[in-house]
Amino acid sequence: MIEAAVKKKLGSFKLDANVSDEHFICLTGKNGSGKTTLLNLIGGILTPDEGHVMLNSKNITSLPIERRQVSIITPDSCIPHLDVDRHMVWGAKNKGLNIDDDYIAEIKTGLGINFDGKVRKLSLGMRERVALATSLISRPELILVDETLSNIDNRRDFIVAFKNFTMKANIDVIFTTQSPEDASEADHHYRLESGKSTRLF
Amino acid sequence: MNWLKLISCLSLALLVIPVVLLLYEGFGPLRDPIGYGYEVFRAIELTLLSSAIAAGLCVTIFTPLAYYFARNKNSLAEALADIPASIPHPIIGVAILVIVSPLTPFGRFLLSVGINFFNTFLGLITALTIVSAPIYINSMHPFFQSMNVAHENYALGLGASKFRTFMSVVVPNSGRGILTASLIAMSRAMSEFGSISIVAYYVLQQPFYGVSPAPVLIFEYYTYYGLGPAVTASAVMILVSIAIMILLRLVKR
Repeated sequence: MIEAAVKKKLGSFKLDANVSDEHFICLTGKNGSGKTTLLNLIGGILTPDEGHVMLNSKNITSLPIERRQVSIITPDSCIPHLDVDRHMVWGAKNKGLNIDDDYIAEIKTGLGINFDGKVRKLSLGMRERVALATSLISRPELILVDETLSNIDNRRDFIVAFKNFTMKANIDVIFTTQSPEDASEADHHYRLESGKSTRLF
Repeated sequence: MNWLKLISCLSLALLVIPVVLLLYEGFGPLRDPIGYGYEVFRAIELTLLSSAIAAGLCVTIFTPLAYYFARNKNSLAEALADIPASIPHPIIGVAILVIVSPLTPFGRFLLSVGINFFNTFLGLITALTIVSAPIYINSMHPFFQSMNVAHENYALGLGASKFRTFMSVVVPNSGRGILTASLIAMSRAMSEFGSISIVAYYVLQQPFYGVSPAPVLIFEYYTYYGLGPAVTASAVMILVSIAIMILLRLVKR
């Protein structure tokens, strides 16, 4: 369960947004509406001027990124020098989690990771699949996905599979998209306009 | 030929002509056997080894500082790091000698535990590291600034500490930048004269007992023997330096 009520002024742009839901949450809005700023505030990349961010009843507003249990994924998110298999378990190893090979194999199949090699040499869509899989295996409490799903082919199937994995692992997700089709897979939908948020469902 | 290419060729010629002229004179009309004697090659050996160690120390000690500057705006600290580059280098030599001076309590303490910079290999490396560090930091700073911060935020979000993110994400993906910056730092160390002419005019330690660094030796040849041996020794030094730099750049690729 994520509860964020945050205000942030960046130059002439003012964000005043609320998100209070769980499971698979979609965030839509035009370019410059504040989607990335809101995710950065929830993820800890930015600090709100006012307000708070609660994750599963814990106040994480002033926690550093590495202690939030929030994984942030943008189209550039990856650890470029690792190969796919080492990349996928990198986060889990950081957290000292047991590596379950069957679970990893299940995720690889489910998310269409049937390739290998250095992550920096993969295509953007392949890299994003690996980044999302790595986050899942590291079992955060929340995954923030910023404009990443749009680069993946067979997107609908991928989103359904990714959602299933997050539901099973009890991980909440907030993802941004420009596609109404992607938004239809969400449990909740928020729209941002000029920094103001509206809950659609 | 377009105007940019023409101007580039002319400006490159300005840098290259004096070197070519020196090579021509050094191995031609002004050639002197003293300039390519055993003493010169020992001096070049000392200069290359000490400069390579200084560049290595710059990488080890100052890479985190350059990264810090790239991720945190701190004008005062950046200005402080530039001090060795912005003061006359003999001052750095004097400052290093003050540290181990028997006139100060701290200097007496260092000497009592066997740490001495005056005419030692340690003193030479210390001086070269200090003068090349600002060059190294200023080369790495824009490199780190141009690195995609999304990789670091992603690693932090996967639970990695800031130290682990630096060591396991930033450093492994900075190989090219570190190598380029360390080559620049090494070049700077090889060309240093001001501070080492005070701290280590010659080294009084084996295996370089009585050997002067190449820039100091060339200055000494000029003052004792005149232009001929100095130009020949300079030409040898330039050839060796160019060969090393080309080799390292080939390795970098």
